[in-house]
Amino acid sequence: MTAHLPLKGIRIADFSWIINGPQIALWMAAMGAEVIKVESQVYLDYMRVTPAAQADGVAGINRSGTFHNLNYGKKSITLNLGTEKGRKLAQELVKRCDFAIECYPLPNARKLGLTYDELKAAKPDIILISVSLLGKSGLEPTDWVGWGPMASCFVGMFDAQGYPDGPPRQTGGTWPDYAIGTSVIFHALAALHHRNKTGQGQWVDASMGETVIGETPEWYMDYFMNGRDRRQWANRDDIMAPHNTYPCAGEDKWIAIAVGNDQEWEALCATMGYPSWARNAKFADQFNRWKNRNEIDTQLSEWTRNYTHLELAATLQQAGVPAGPVLDSVEIHADPHLKEWGYWWELNHHEAGKRIQPGIPVRMSNVQKFNYGSPPDLGQHNNEVFGGILGLSEEEIRALTNDKVIY
Amino acid sequence: MVVSALADLKVVEFAEMVSGPMCGKLFADMGAEVIKIEPPGTGDEARRHPPFPGDIPHPEKSGLFLYLNTSKKGITLDPAQPTGASIFKRLIEDADILIENRPPGYMQSLGLGYEGLREINPRLIMTSISPFGQIGPYRDWKGSDLVEWAMSLTGYNTPTLVREPEKENPLRAPGHAADMMGGTAAAAAAMFAVLQREIAGEGQWIDAPCWQAVVNTAKVEMAVYTYTGMPYSRLRAKTSLGLEPSKCRDGYVYVLWAVNSHWQALKDLLGRPEAMDSELFDDMQTRGANDDIVRTLVQEELAKHDMDWLVREGQARGLPIGPVYTVAQAAEHPHLHSREAFIELDHPIAGRFRYPRALVKLDKTPVQPSRAPMLGEHNDEILRERLGFSAEEVTGLRAAGII
Repeated sequence: MTAHLPLKGIRIADFSWIINGPQIALWMAAMGAEVIKVESQVYLDYMRVTPAAQADGVAGINRSGTFHNLNYGKKSITLNLGTEKGRKLAQELVKRCDFAIECYPLPNARKLGLTYDELKAAKPDIILISVSLLGKSGLEPTDWVGWGPMASCFVGMFDAQGYPDGPPRQTGGTWPDYAIGTSVIFHALAALHHRNKTGQGQWVDASMGETVIGETPEWYMDYFMNGRDRRQWANRDDIMAPHNTYPCAGEDKWIAIAVGNDQEWEALCATMGYPSWARNAKFADQFNRWKNRNEIDTQLSEWTRNYTHLELAATLQQAGVPAGPVLDSVEIHADPHLKEWGYWWELNHHEAGKRIQPGIPVRMSNVQKFNYGSPPDLGQHNNEVFGGILGLSEEEIRALTNDKVIY
Repeated sequence: MVVSALADLKVVEFAEMVSGPMCGKLFADMGAEVIKIEPPGTGDEARRHPPFPGDIPHPEKSGLFLYLNTSKKGITLDPAQPTGASIFKRLIEDADILIENRPPGYMQSLGLGYEGLREINPRLIMTSISPFGQIGPYRDWKGSDLVEWAMSLTGYNTPTLVREPEKENPLRAPGHAADMMGGTAAAAAAMFAVLQREIAGEGQWIDAPCWQAVVNTAKVEMAVYTYTGMPYSRLRAKTSLGLEPSKCRDGYVYVLWAVNSHWQALKDLLGRPEAMDSELFDDMQTRGANDDIVRTLVQEELAKHDMDWLVREGQARGLPIGPVYTVAQAAEHPHLHSREAFIELDHPIAGRFRYPRALVKLDKTPVQPSRAPMLGEHNDEILRERLGFSAEEVTGLRAAGII
């Protein structure tokens, strides 16, 4: 039992928006940091306004599910960084913070006063987390606008992803925006550890492209070792077969099966009732199965189609075959394992009502409960932050509001 | 002199393949001392995994292993034997972090579960990485990167924008992205625990599953369902955002036209062709309603231009547009070189070649990988110098297959 969350006493000025920066700040908030999300009516976080997930289809800046599940546990202030006074106040806030987070292309970061040089001048030991498409130092891509999938495109992953002889295809949604989350958190916490020991802050210049490279190294190592450009690999594995997703009964239902050795193949054959095709010498050992994987895929698909994906996965796992159902949005929320493991939590929101939220995907024995607070309304904490943390009087706050600095 | 952020941390890694070693690598490349424990004789399973130089398998030459085990010290040890277990415990005595990715329950079966290890070292942070977690109905399910990815909703949504679902089966990300994410989330959690230990004084047990790490990457898709009641479909969405690689004259570009300013920039870029200039497409809703027409129009226009021109001129207009490269093109790109995204490392057996350097760039305490250890390379150093075994004892341990 312990009384404190890991980041108790840590304060973060979060200037980021949409997915990548907010996801980083979300973990920090869940771990006990005081995260102050700096927003503005001049340019609302796209996640507040996207029509994709407004509660019950009724639009409102505090009703968006994609904003909620990326921003719970944070505070929100409205500060217009398009004004000089706004930028000045941002620096005052940063002076009282341990971290700042931003996620803009370099020219925009300069305009908003969110470069490392400027923030370091305000707070010498600040740790600035800059998240971007391809990094903030280097050549012209530092200036590019874009989002996660563009980073994957740049580093070859969409090309590697396609079906054989097909065009490049997109990896699920905006995967790099999330992938960079945990990799930045690890390195930023190492920077905090370093600051705690030495008093020295630093700049974390994170490129989504480089995180994707670092998490798909076989492609790069093969190129560096052999000059091979791996393209359109679909679900092919280097050694495993069968290793694919296979159709199941129902509309757009699939199962993933990944057989890594003779034992698992034997278990798969036993589950299928030893069909005659599987007894062919072509499939007798792992190398031959890998070589003849397309044929296995064709045969296996004919078998899997007869079963529902949930039941077949359970049957195969029972037999010792690595397999799993491809879950859609309804099924993943009904999944018994995620529930029992404790992945979800329930938000009771004053506008959106009760909604299930994705939690932090780790369990820690000394953290009984993460800080799963309500996502903030736009500017909800203006008085608390401008009055409390920055010490402005009510009058000053009113004047700044009239001047559209606090806006 | 390069400063390391984590030089004061001692890590023991008892893990194979991808998830655990990735976690250990992150610590090692930031300066922590990571002692990697491998099975005597065979070593980490990743040593047998491609790619290999010249496609010739060799336990010291796997590209996957060499990448995932940079900056570590390597020993061989079999903790399933009593003497092996006692050596394991001695390593744990002054370790800050233990990383393991054995099947849930296996460590307990060796007498090396968290409850026992915490008695030896209450400050220990035990980081257990697994496919599905230490509790729950799938705890004992067999994992595999493909399985964890495919089950994640992000897997259901790969590839995005499906037109013929029966022909477009769900795909995983290239390689072992799910296991990489699990290892990275575990490393982040372990660092939280290091910081919490500064306040609380004691260690803890972390349960870091790879599946949940990937599940956590589909938040938009989740919210669509939980906030509107409409199941998220992997079929082409009704909102017109762009969102897919489109052919240009010499390859593919990726364009996003989510908001109106992007749409205007896109029209400008393509010279305001009459068909695109219709007011019908000027807001997000009507573009969505006419997605088929919009997409066809845009793609016809993009196909007339070269990639470099489209990207340069599009970006100059504030349009999110980027090149779709192959890995080889990216690996030689001057931007990545200017950021030193790759580092050349020399290995006595595998040879000298480039590696991806770091997931994240830091300016004061940069990520500094050095080459991976050969099997049992640091047995003498750790057992004799650190733990005080004699040369004869080390020989005896080796003969008994304990190291």
